[in-house]
Amino acid sequence: MSRAEQILAGLGGSTNIVEIEACITRLRTALQDMSLVDEPTLKGAGAHGIMRAGSVLQVVVGPEADTIASEIEDLL
Amino acid sequence: MSRTAPAHVEVLSPVAGVRHDVSDVPDPVFAQGLVGPGAAITPHPGDQVAVAPIDGTLTKLHPHAYLIVSDLGPGVLVHLGIDTVHMHGAGFTMLAQEHSTVTAGTAIIRWDPGYVEETGRSAMCAVVVLDCPFPAVPLQPSGREIDMAQPLFKIDV
Repeated sequence: MSRAEQILAGLGGSTNIVEIEACITRLRTALQDMSLVDEPTLKGAGAHGIMRAGSVLQVVVGPEADTIASEIEDLL
Repeated sequence: MSRTAPAHVEVLSPVAGVRHDVSDVPDPVFAQGLVGPGAAITPHPGDQVAVAPIDGTLTKLHPHAYLIVSDLGPGVLVHLGIDTVHMHGAGFTMLAQEHSTVTAGTAIIRWDPGYVEETGRSAMCAVVVLDCPFPAVPLQPSGREIDMAQPLFKIDV
C-alpha cells in the first residue's frame, strides 16, 4: 500500500473526502464524517501530527504534502 | 583523545520584526509544535524580502512558504503569514529557484506583510525545523526586535 493509500484509508476512504489540499507540510481535508478518521493508521503512514477543527482535519506529513495530496486526488 | 563538539545549526531570522515563541503563532498546528520546534516573528509592514535562514538546498518553494534542507540534515521551514496558502500567490514574488543551492541571507521571496494583514490574515512568520526531536534554543528573547538575517535560534543536529 502506498503512503497516499494508507493516508486515504486513515481518512476514512475516498467516499469520506469532501476536499483535500496541501500546504507546504500539511494536508488539509474536509471530511464527511470525522468519526471515520483512524489516527493510528495516519500515524503509521508517517503523520507527525493531526489537528481537528470542525469538519476539517489537518495532517502534518512533511514536505511531501503536495505530492501526497495529488496522489490522493488521483485515488478519489 | 579528541572530542567532537556537538553539531548545531544556527537559524537566522528570515524577516525583520518582533520575535515571538512558536507557541504564539495563531495556528494550532504550528503553535503546538506539530511541524517542529522553532520561533516566530511578527514582521514589520511594507514591501520587503524574506531570506534563507540557513545554508542548504531550497527543496520546496511556494509563493508564501519555503523549505531549506541543510547539508547537516535538518530542514528549516519558513511560513510567511498564516493561512496565506489561500492567497494563491497574490502579493508574493518568488526570487529564487526551487532546488537551487542557497546561503543564509539569500533573498527568496518579495512580499508585503501589510498586504497580508489587509486580507484579514495574520502576517506572523513561523520558522520551524522539520522532524527534529530537539528544542530550539532561542538566541533572542521573546518580544525583542530582530533584524533580517540576525541569529534567531540554534538547534542541535
